[in-house]
Amino acid sequence: MKINIEGLLVYFPYDYIYPEQYSYMLELKRTLDAKGHGVLEMPSGTGKTISLLSLIVAYQRAFPLEVTKLIYCSRTVPEIEKVVEELRKLMEFYSKETGESSNFLALALSSRKNLCIHPEILHANIVVYSYHYLLDPKIADLVSKELAKKSVVVFDEAHNIDNVCIDSMSVNITRRTLDRCQNNVDTLQNTIRNIKETDAAKLKEEYRRLVEGLKEANVARETDVYMANPVLPDEILQEAVPGSIRTAEHFVGFMRRFLEYLKARLRVHHVVQESAPQFLKDVFDKVCIDRKPLRFCAERLRSLLRTLEIADITDFSPVTLISNFATLVSTYSQGFTIIIEPFEDRTPTIANPVLHFSCMDPSIAIKPVFERFQSVIITSGTLSPLDIYPRILDFRPVTMASFTMTLARTCLCPLIVGRGNDQVALSSKFETREDFAVIRNYGNLLLEMSAIVPDGIVAFFTSYVYMENIVASWYEQGILENIQRNKLIFIETPDASETSMALEKYQEACENGRGAVLLSVARGKVSEGIDFVHHFGRAVIMFGVPYVYTQSRILKARLEYLRDQFQIRENDFLTFDAMRHAAQCVGRAIRGKTDYGLMIFADKRYARADKRGKLPRWIQEHMSDGSLNLTVDETVQLAKHFLRQMAQPFRQEDQLGLSLLTLEQLESEEILQKITQIAHQA
Amino acid sequence: MASLSEEVLLVVKKVRQKKQDGTLYLMAERIAWGPEGKDRFTVSHLYADIRCQKISPDGKAKIQLQLVLHTGESTTFHFANESSALKDREAAKELLQQLLPKFKKKANKELEEKNRMLQEDPVLFQLYKDLVVSQVISAEEFWANRLSINNTDHSLSNNKQEVGISAAFLADIRPQTDGCNGLRYNLTADIIESIFRTYPTVKQKYGENVPHNLTEKEFWTRFFQSHYFHRDRINTGTQDIFSECAKQDEKGLKSMVVQGVKNPMVDLLSLEDKTLDEGYGVSTAPSTSNSNKTVKENSNSAIIKRFNHHSAMVLAAGSRKGETSSTDGNSRDSDFFQPPVKKVKLQESIEYEDLQRENGPKTVALNLKKSDRYAHGPVPLQSQQYTTSQDIINSVNCIRHEMANYKPNLTQVLSNSTASSAIAALSPGGVLMQAGAQQAINQMVPSEVQGELKHLYTAAGELLRHFWSCFPVNTPFLEEKLTGHLEEMLQMAYSKFHAWQTRRMLRKT
Repeated sequence: MKINIEGLLVYFPYDYIYPEQYSYMLELKRTLDAKGHGVLEMPSGTGKTISLLSLIVAYQRAFPLEVTKLIYCSRTVPEIEKVVEELRKLMEFYSKETGESSNFLALALSSRKNLCIHPEILHANIVVYSYHYLLDPKIADLVSKELAKKSVVVFDEAHNIDNVCIDSMSVNITRRTLDRCQNNVDTLQNTIRNIKETDAAKLKEEYRRLVEGLKEANVARETDVYMANPVLPDEILQEAVPGSIRTAEHFVGFMRRFLEYLKARLRVHHVVQESAPQFLKDVFDKVCIDRKPLRFCAERLRSLLRTLEIADITDFSPVTLISNFATLVSTYSQGFTIIIEPFEDRTPTIANPVLHFSCMDPSIAIKPVFERFQSVIITSGTLSPLDIYPRILDFRPVTMASFTMTLARTCLCPLIVGRGNDQVALSSKFETREDFAVIRNYGNLLLEMSAIVPDGIVAFFTSYVYMENIVASWYEQGILENIQRNKLIFIETPDASETSMALEKYQEACENGRGAVLLSVARGKVSEGIDFVHHFGRAVIMFGVPYVYTQSRILKARLEYLRDQFQIRENDFLTFDAMRHAAQCVGRAIRGKTDYGLMIFADKRYARADKRGKLPRWIQEHMSDGSLNLTVDETVQLAKHFLRQMAQPFRQEDQLGLSLLTLEQLESEEILQKITQIAHQA
Repeated sequence: MASLSEEVLLVVKKVRQKKQDGTLYLMAERIAWGPEGKDRFTVSHLYADIRCQKISPDGKAKIQLQLVLHTGESTTFHFANESSALKDREAAKELLQQLLPKFKKKANKELEEKNRMLQEDPVLFQLYKDLVVSQVISAEEFWANRLSINNTDHSLSNNKQEVGISAAFLADIRPQTDGCNGLRYNLTADIIESIFRTYPTVKQKYGENVPHNLTEKEFWTRFFQSHYFHRDRINTGTQDIFSECAKQDEKGLKSMVVQGVKNPMVDLLSLEDKTLDEGYGVSTAPSTSNSNKTVKENSNSAIIKRFNHHSAMVLAAGSRKGETSSTDGNSRDSDFFQPPVKKVKLQESIEYEDLQRENGPKTVALNLKKSDRYAHGPVPLQSQQYTTSQDIINSVNCIRHEMANYKPNLTQVLSNSTASSAIAALSPGGVLMQAGAQQAINQMVPSEVQGELKHLYTAAGELLRHFWSCFPVNTPFLEEKLTGHLEEMLQMAYSKFHAWQTRRMLRKT
């Protein structure tokens, strides 16, 4: 159908539309009009991607000078491929309706293995790739730095975007890294010696270039040709490379010295935590290395590798890592922390020193993106609470909206199980984690559900260790054997290929009617990347609240930073983080309006307002007061009732006018009024 | 009939049959008895013909064994050797016990199959009645080439759905304490079969060791004692015949893992575009080396592995037949087909069925060249010209038109009498309406006569089929069949036809 969105003609490749899709496009258009950033939450399965693509493509066609490019970032390879498929569908619709083959060029970079094609990115109208191509400075510099300012950037599935930002800026250094780096430095020295004998002119030429400094890059940045690179701070662009590292030999010597220093630092017997300035002072005191040359390290190494015409840069990844670390630690006095741990907490007898240089401020990595591009859209099925994202990413959105899923029948059923049949409070909290009664009741819940839920059940645990312990204890108590009478059991393991196989078998068992239970882990790969549509997931059980492991020093440092810099209280952040993962897990089962599934939160803490209130609106609004503190038996009763209702036939006509609109309905005044109520302004 | 060399499995002397002393022979395919001093058998039964065997109760003076045949007849043997009668009888009984089921299955299957064919095919049933029941040809001959023809395709259609295995079959063998520090496991044939089907390696071990090295009981005792059964116990390296099973299972599991998954949407390895280089990122992966794992953790992960393996095996055992034709139509090792699967899965995952107009099953548009034939079905061709409904509509319109413009020509009207006779002639039954009352031949002959004729026709056809199948005549058997009873049979069929004809003639007159 062709829709009118506030005066913009949008080609939408379906015959019907969900009301929330219309609202979503409306908000999106307003964001683009304002040339600002937006935060939009809409449940998965309501056609978020196609709404985004339809509107932005229409916008691009209507205002080719305002928006020149769409940069669509998604998290996983299958997600990227899905976007491409939807785009193809849209383009086919365009050529069918307009009769002309579209001259749109879309480009997808699905895997780093088949990278790329640099000049083509500049000409494509739409680029689809992974987050890292934009957020990881090492890659962004290669792939994305020349993307036009007038682009719209979309981060889909953005609920974890802060972690991606932090990951891309953090560095870990072990003894092995340093040893390999040492080898790199030796190789470099030999290569330089060889080149000096054969082609000394080349090194001289490089020297001359370095005297002139990084002027070229500076000019490019000032004239807006390039996107900023957080590893290449503005200041160093205006200066010449310091004399102490200008010649190749000097630089190699410099690196050697820095390396020796790091080796010495790893020889600790107790945990050390310090800030970047403290670290720099210590470097200066111990080996007389200044802050200034350190800042040039990454750029200097890159120049050297280029001059030496080294083909395989991956061999030099350790020395690149160290030079990046040097630049980062000397550039940012805030937002990072250095933690040196001599051993792992679990194995205090085995020396395995690691230097963690952790980024605590996700806004550092994403700042160039917000600054450069006129519209950046952060969107996902679970972004609640909406206001936390602008705070931790440090940007000002022009629109923030959360859309619910309009439903003709309530196809999701969130239930909070707080007690066992014996009234034992169910919780995964630390004090009762080993409690036999809790574990038994959890087992009982799964057993009862396995008897009444058709096909597939997915259960998530808060961590792998927790799951292992529970599985072992269920095994001893014979609970698993009893579950096997109803369904097959598959369990996630730390090994990805083993888990893939288990997943495939799980789907096979759901497909052939035998039914299966999948035991899995929140924050794991399954919970983030695998959908359990229709019979692959008729019930999701979340055992416990998936809090992050709070004993980690890195996390503690980050929490402190959040408190000091953003005034976000520790508990608020931890709860937010736990609830977004819980929402991700339970949301895996509902992938559309024709789908249905139970969402069982098995922990009494979910009933509290501070937890419940952080769930996405589209889940919250189906929680009634009567389903907040159920026993296992009550849960079974409610679930049976729900499943019986869902088993009734559900046709397209049932949805029409309520959760599904025809073009005529969309144009009626009354419906438009209803739709405006759907959008929830945060 | 006697095959040249039959393997004799058991010879029992001093066995009386009908108060006559003799010797009982159990051979590969039949049981036979011959009176003393003569070298021919007076009693000989194929195992396939035997329905069951009965033995006299233990306390009885006469030690007997009775064979009941499918036909209902029975033969009784009396073991008369004073010293070893009971032992002889037991030996014969044991052997029969092993042999009979093998043949029984075959015989039953055949009988069942014949029965099914006759029930499903009324024509065949009639033929059977005409030819076999009226003893034109023998039953064996009737079935001789029919079964083999149908063997291939019925095996497909008759492919019964196999019963799967309960995932919890191991749970059903709850051990019970026997009161003196031991455990008792109750095994049934079903459970054993489940174990074998799920764990082929155990079956293999069973085949290797029972009964040469171990008795059945010992085998299962060891099975339940083994670390293989109690997978949460860490293998302590004891010599255990099942440790090899565990290794093989592990190997199987590994190869499954190495093969990878067919569905790209569940492949966690390709899920992420691994963009973070080594050394970057917040948390380094926890070291997964086994060296610093505790015993408990090891046993926990063993349990998890076991459950995955067990479920996979149960699933595979349930669908072993369909293994070759995998669900999405391509085999694992052909990368060639990989993209389409992926494409299909992707398409599936972006599909919003309720947003699309066409919701029902996809239909093929009917392309009709002559829509009236579709609407009315075939109409018997009359001697007149074939009229289409369009013609009729046209002519109706034409008549209506004419009627509307009808102006009576009063000078040329018919007389009353001619008009009424014309109407009579045009009414049904009138002189001019005769053409419509033509009777087809199939309506003139009563159906029972038609039926009889049909039966005679098919029966004759079947005989002719037998007749022609004898050519070329290259064996004495065929020649004998041809000149001997086939001729006779054809003669018989002919006389049957003749009888029918005369009967019919008689009836007509």
